[in-house]
Amino acid sequence: MSHCTCQITKSGSAITNLGIRWVGSFWALVALLLPGASHAEYKFNFPEPVTPVARETLHIHNEFMLVITILFVVVFAIMIYSMVKHRKSVGHQPAKFTGPTGTVQWFWALVPFAILLFIDFILMGIPAVNAIIEMEDTKTRADMVLKVTGMQWKWQYEYPGTDIKFISTMSTPREQINNAEAKGENYLLEVDNPVVLPVGKKVRILMTSTDVIHTWWVPQFGVKRDAIPGFLRETWVNIEKPGTYRGQCAELCGKDHGFMPIVVHAVPEPEFLAWLEQKKAEAKAAAGGADRTWSKDELMAAGKEAYDKQCVACHQAAGQGLPPAFPALAGSKIVAGPLLDANGKIIKDSHVDRVLNGKPGTAMQAFRNSMSDVELAAVITYERNSFGNQAGDMIQPAQIKALR
Amino acid sequence: MSEPFSAEDLARRRTASRRLGWAIGAAVFALYLIGFLFKR
Amino acid sequence: MSYATTHPAGHHDEHHPSGLLRWLTTTNHKDIGTMYLTFSLIMFFVGGLMILAVRAELFQPGLQLMRPEFFNQLIGVHALVMIFAALMPAATGFANWMLPLMIGAPDMALPRLNNWGFWLLPPAAILLTLPFTLALFGIGDGAIATGWTFYAPLSVQGGMGVDFAILAVHILGISSIMGSINVIVTIFNMRAPGMTLMKMPLFAWGWLITAFLLIATLPVLAGAVTMLLTDRHFGTHFFDAAGGGDPILFQHLFWFFGHPEVYILLLPVWGLMPHVLSTFSRKPTYGYKAQVYSFIAIGVLSLIVWAHHFFTAGMPVPALIYFMFSTMAISLPLAVLFFCWIATMWKGAMTFETPMLFAVGFIVLFGIAGLTGLVLADVAADAQYHHSYFVVAHFHYALFAGGIMGVMTGVYYWLPKWTGHMYNETLGKWHFWLTVVSFNLTFIPQFFLGLAGMPRRIPDYALQFAEFNAISTVGAFILGISQLLFAWNIWSCIRGGPKAEARVWEGAEGLEWELDSPPPHHSWETQPVIK
Repeated sequence: MSHCTCQITKSGSAITNLGIRWVGSFWALVALLLPGASHAEYKFNFPEPVTPVARETLHIHNEFMLVITILFVVVFAIMIYSMVKHRKSVGHQPAKFTGPTGTVQWFWALVPFAILLFIDFILMGIPAVNAIIEMEDTKTRADMVLKVTGMQWKWQYEYPGTDIKFISTMSTPREQINNAEAKGENYLLEVDNPVVLPVGKKVRILMTSTDVIHTWWVPQFGVKRDAIPGFLRETWVNIEKPGTYRGQCAELCGKDHGFMPIVVHAVPEPEFLAWLEQKKAEAKAAAGGADRTWSKDELMAAGKEAYDKQCVACHQAAGQGLPPAFPALAGSKIVAGPLLDANGKIIKDSHVDRVLNGKPGTAMQAFRNSMSDVELAAVITYERNSFGNQAGDMIQPAQIKALR
Repeated sequence: MSEPFSAEDLARRRTASRRLGWAIGAAVFALYLIGFLFKR
Repeated sequence: MSYATTHPAGHHDEHHPSGLLRWLTTTNHKDIGTMYLTFSLIMFFVGGLMILAVRAELFQPGLQLMRPEFFNQLIGVHALVMIFAALMPAATGFANWMLPLMIGAPDMALPRLNNWGFWLLPPAAILLTLPFTLALFGIGDGAIATGWTFYAPLSVQGGMGVDFAILAVHILGISSIMGSINVIVTIFNMRAPGMTLMKMPLFAWGWLITAFLLIATLPVLAGAVTMLLTDRHFGTHFFDAAGGGDPILFQHLFWFFGHPEVYILLLPVWGLMPHVLSTFSRKPTYGYKAQVYSFIAIGVLSLIVWAHHFFTAGMPVPALIYFMFSTMAISLPLAVLFFCWIATMWKGAMTFETPMLFAVGFIVLFGIAGLTGLVLADVAADAQYHHSYFVVAHFHYALFAGGIMGVMTGVYYWLPKWTGHMYNETLGKWHFWLTVVSFNLTFIPQFFLGLAGMPRRIPDYALQFAEFNAISTVGAFILGISQLLFAWNIWSCIRGGPKAEARVWEGAEGLEWELDSPPPHHSWETQPVIK
């Protein structure tokens, strides 16, 4: 009846004995590492917090990690002890109990349960509730508002109350990504137009998206909130220390999900106000662009710039696209079609319609929301006269402005 | 060791099984339909 | 006492088809169990190859091997394959093989349904992977690239890969529902006289709760992906704000299924553990009733915690607090299970053959899964963990160390019963140690990557994440290659090996151990005596 099990055990026990000691010491090492690591460098724990929420989060995390490490070590020390002592090869005879018998055993059975109850709902639960209420309180004593819009695959930032609105795109060159060039220090975490925020002020952040769900995450702020199309979500930050803080999109949003970083410059308030003024002046200048007539050369140059920033990711450098998801612009019927109808109005499904209003149900978004009149006119002109396309015509920023 | 499952016993179990099977299937289908009625 | 050799005259001459036709038409629970397990093993390797390609890309910063679009396809299909085509069929294979043996039934209650349930799986697997092949020929742009969670509106945007996946999910769902109906009906109607519900082996209890969860939640998933299909092609706006819908509705529907799904994957394994621990400790199971009630509690609780998967989506504070507390509550019945497992071992007379090694490894590593799950439930801290590699590490501890290693435990435990031969014990031990060490090498760095700020589902990453990614990739490759030892051991064992007794393991108790190894094609034609 009991066959070769005995022989297997004899040869097996030496390996497993050694193995158990190895496993035990490995976990002891991990256990030692974890709480200590809370003060260790960046690599083993959250990056340095710079907001009250981030500090609170770090504190809760450290506490909780300590608790679970203790639970882990205690429980598995008991189990490992049993594995060493209660084995057939040292002659231990098996007991027969199937439940707690007697007061001591009931104590051993119920006390861990009670401890866990306490840990869950009191020790960790109560601070968590307080932290949640704090985190979700976006409106009390907010000093300013930032509006964030997620797009495939970039962020748009607006400062309500001013005309300041700009797109923040990843500025890491594709050559670095394709391993043709050495990677820079802030590889994948650098943008052309960072957000600038004042230090020491409560900033209420409103979030939405134009297409799919994105998530705005800056680890050092302790903030992560979804940007959901058609809805406004809120969070807040109060940055305590000047510096440059980097984050990434944290919700899969398509092919360049990993390439839409967030960079925030936190500066003392006077610097922030100066920056605001400068940006307001820039915005005014750009808006004024629609008031004059642009030459074709000017449009083509500005168009190429806009194309390389906004369109090349999908439609590619030579306009060849990545069909079927991203159609080719080279030789495209839509691009070769008429610009506007006889009354200067938009034609449905035309080139202008596509660029301004996007194509619902696809990744082609409505660029009217994120590009200026000048940029739109320029990029449309550029596309019609590049990649082998020879429409020959052009469209003025003023015409775009009239279509809005 | 006792009697094999008698033929009547097996038949009874089979009928009960079929009935219960269809009942659960209907419940599943109902759940599926209810899902569409949730608030949009 | 062997029940194998006596059967009423007349069955001798029963004609069983052979070859391919046998497998296509069989209604025998052992055959069907074997098919489920074979399918599962194959798909395990398919899913594994996909993720090795992903980890190869993630070995270094920069894009070396593939475009981001393809990367997104691999990660999503990897998950769908592992969950629906590897883990669930393995658990169903166990149920098919062992439930009738354990409860003294001659077969499952609905044998033809059983056959159909299995044969839906290969077409579904083909549907999931076909878009990859079609894309090679320029048709479509590949398989689903939204991750296994299909979130709208990204999934509304996606190409035909999403439609294939929706169809595959429907078919997989129907297969599981059929299997669950069969399990419930078999357990209720086919137990041998004397086997009351509270005498039923814990493996059967685990599967009973699993089956109820499946029938409660799969219809909701089916509804959600149908609504996605109509949003994509038939002009509905369920998930489109512009049309009056709500993208978050999809998340609610999906995770209403998605959370119970992880317990669906784990309950069969939790039902199996007491058997293995009791056998190799040579001690009766501790806390039978406590474990049954814990299974039920976990099953019920799993239905009311789903929103912890999207705490950052912006729900009202009362909802955040409710879902946090209800999620943490699951730790209590889970703690009861851990307690009972260790108490079963306590003061036993243990030996550490391969099944026991895997069982112990499961307890330790699944413990890490549970503890990190507790931490994830904390809404305040979740702001940092959500959609980062911390979550990826957590759920791999739960589903690989928990689910897959649990399945491996069951395979080593029952393989001698199924085949009549002992597997190679040395090879088994090597498989165990290589798996455990390389698994931890793969996933411990991922906890730290998450804490350091690395998001999920990105094909390329900033330079500070390079070191741990490299280590993780090395671990993954060792882990993948080690599984070949498993496949080889199984294959050799099927072919031959030292003869296995009816009671394969010295401490094994239960009806299944009173039948020959392998059991006859028709078992329990005579009713067993229940003690």
